[in-house]
Amino acid sequence: MADLPVRPPAGLPPLAPGWTEHKAPTGHSYYYNKETKKSTYIRPILEVPSIQSHHVASPPAPPAPFSANTNPGLFNPLATNNQFNPNFQQPNLQFGGPQQQPFQNGPQHQPRGGHRGGHRGGSNNFQDRRRQPEDRPKHRFDIPDCAPWVLVKTKLGRRFVWNKDNNESFWKFPPHVMKGVVEFDRREREKRERRARGEPSDEEDTAMAEVEADLAAAEKEMEKRIVEVDGEVGMMDDSEYEEVEVTDDEGEEGDKAPKRQRTEEPSEDQALEMGEDDIAWQLAQMEAMEEGDFTEDEEEEEGMPLTDEDCKALFKELLDDTRISPYSPWEKVLENDGLYDDERYKALPTMKARKDCFDEWARERIQYLQEQKAKQQKLDPKIPYLAFLHRHATPKLFWPEFRRKFRKEPEMKDTKLSDKDKEKLYRDLVKRLGLKQPELRSDLSNLLKAQPLAFLNGSTTLDTLPSSVLTDLRFISLPASTRDSLVETYLSTLPPAPEGAAASAQEEAEVARKRAERERRQRALAERERRVQEEKRKHERDLAYGKGRLHEEEMEIERAMKVGKGGLKG
Amino acid sequence: MPPTRTAGRSKKPPPDGFEDIEDTLLEFQNKMKDAENASHDGKKKHEMLWPIFQITHQRSKYIYDMYYEKEAISKTLYDWLLKNGYADPMLIAKWKKQGYEKLCCVRCIQTNETNFRSTCICRVPKKQLTEGQDIQCVNCGCRGCSSGD
Repeated sequence: MADLPVRPPAGLPPLAPGWTEHKAPTGHSYYYNKETKKSTYIRPILEVPSIQSHHVASPPAPPAPFSANTNPGLFNPLATNNQFNPNFQQPNLQFGGPQQQPFQNGPQHQPRGGHRGGHRGGSNNFQDRRRQPEDRPKHRFDIPDCAPWVLVKTKLGRRFVWNKDNNESFWKFPPHVMKGVVEFDRREREKRERRARGEPSDEEDTAMAEVEADLAAAEKEMEKRIVEVDGEVGMMDDSEYEEVEVTDDEGEEGDKAPKRQRTEEPSEDQALEMGEDDIAWQLAQMEAMEEGDFTEDEEEEEGMPLTDEDCKALFKELLDDTRISPYSPWEKVLENDGLYDDERYKALPTMKARKDCFDEWARERIQYLQEQKAKQQKLDPKIPYLAFLHRHATPKLFWPEFRRKFRKEPEMKDTKLSDKDKEKLYRDLVKRLGLKQPELRSDLSNLLKAQPLAFLNGSTTLDTLPSSVLTDLRFISLPASTRDSLVETYLSTLPPAPEGAAASAQEEAEVARKRAERERRQRALAERERRVQEEKRKHERDLAYGKGRLHEEEMEIERAMKVGKGGLKG
Repeated sequence: MPPTRTAGRSKKPPPDGFEDIEDTLLEFQNKMKDAENASHDGKKKHEMLWPIFQITHQRSKYIYDMYYEKEAISKTLYDWLLKNGYADPMLIAKWKKQGYEKLCCVRCIQTNETNFRSTCICRVPKKQLTEGQDIQCVNCGCRGCSSGD
């Protein structure tokens, strides 16, 4: 693909009315329409005689005679050069018109393995030596029903076919392969359409319409030509194979790249038409966009702002999630390794901000916990102690013996219950354990019956018995097996709980609101993260491209400085 | 002769809320034990006490924060902690004064003990030190506790 249109050949057809020819600072000419304020590299010509000339100027077939050795990995450059050139010089000449074809004089000039050999071919032509991104094969597709032939797509979006068996490759598809390629294209397009269904391609349409208005005539010709030459117009939509600017400078041309670029970024389009000479730059840009256009679009759609409060809230959520005690000091929090891996950690920029945020969080959290504790009725220290007694108390042991035996148990060490109380409870229990079973049973049923329905009802289970039951000695006087069955049978006879649990609806709404808020912030953070990544990638790409350009220019200078024996003329 | 420790005396529970900060205090206690038992081979004589001072400072700061900044513990618990030596009340008293918010230890502002009746070097603001001067005070290893830094 030549990056710039070359000067149109001599003996051109006359310009269409309203168009004027101008010279760009780079040397090539472009055309400007004063009325429509459009400019183009393509020579706008009168419609009637244009068929022939366009036939010559802009062949639509995609394969461009780029360089035979673009992909040294795929096939032997020398071999292909040899078979490539003699076979296909003729058709290219025929289609490509009188402009110079890089590949024709390529083999003499290009270094053997050089990627840009094709472009450097016409090295006496300054324009051709402009910065040109390297092209190399990128994707390989199998062509249906054409076994040895493989369709290779290069980095710049151009395609050629390669015969795996005899290692031949052509930019120009041989007729039998052409059918396969057309079929392949149709499938691809269908796939793409299916994927893109749902998102309207208005943007594309308008951009295309613009271009088409500019070049309606040329396009018509092209369509006709497609019919003539390839017979494939029925299957390919014209936008796919459309060639606008780039076609007339180089006989055969990869189509996809410039087209996509134009459809996606109108400003690009203008720059290109205006002859802002660096098409190579645009190619790189286009390439970048091909990689990143999806995400960029999305980004434009929803650029969620992340306010300071959001950042703080994110960090607080992180603290919540790490389950750190709000009572722990800040240094302890920092020892937590999981903290740094989380991206919410980076929501706040400085350590000081984080510490402040932590302090704030801890204050809130502690307050909340204290409220909770106040709300929750205090767990009677008797309950665990009585449960413990139920397991271990026996009439065989006096209190001092029992205390000594179990002095290491946490229930015995508990300071909430004084020793006096403990002793009293133990003595009472041991006294009760000497009673007869029926008596104990009746005591238990009396205890249960005495409970109000609000505490003890049909929905109560053994685990959720009220504390008034649990702290009573009558409850633990019976062995667990008999007691549990008794309690269960009693509970099953009770009616369900009285009404009064409707207060939770409001709380639930509150919780739901908080969750929604949290999700929103999460999304915003992810968004920001992605944008940063995107920015970084773009930057890197720019850098790489800049480097490439620099290198390119260096090469150019080097080439210019190289003066052979023949002096400047040579 | 010290009074005999009976079960009832030692069993008096700490005020409410102690269990919340108990873990952290235990950690400090362990750290302190480690610092006390660490070998001091190759250390200068005055360096030996630095970790002790540092841990004391940290623990006092923690309790101070809990009571004054975060209001996480009750007055009774705070008093109990001070009484039981979990924090240095003298140091905390200094922190409440303007200009002493970051004071490292009480010794560093004790002018009577110095040759020129001045405070420790760590009390000097960073600005007034010469550029790039790295100091560590003899008393507690403080690298600078001026409240303006």
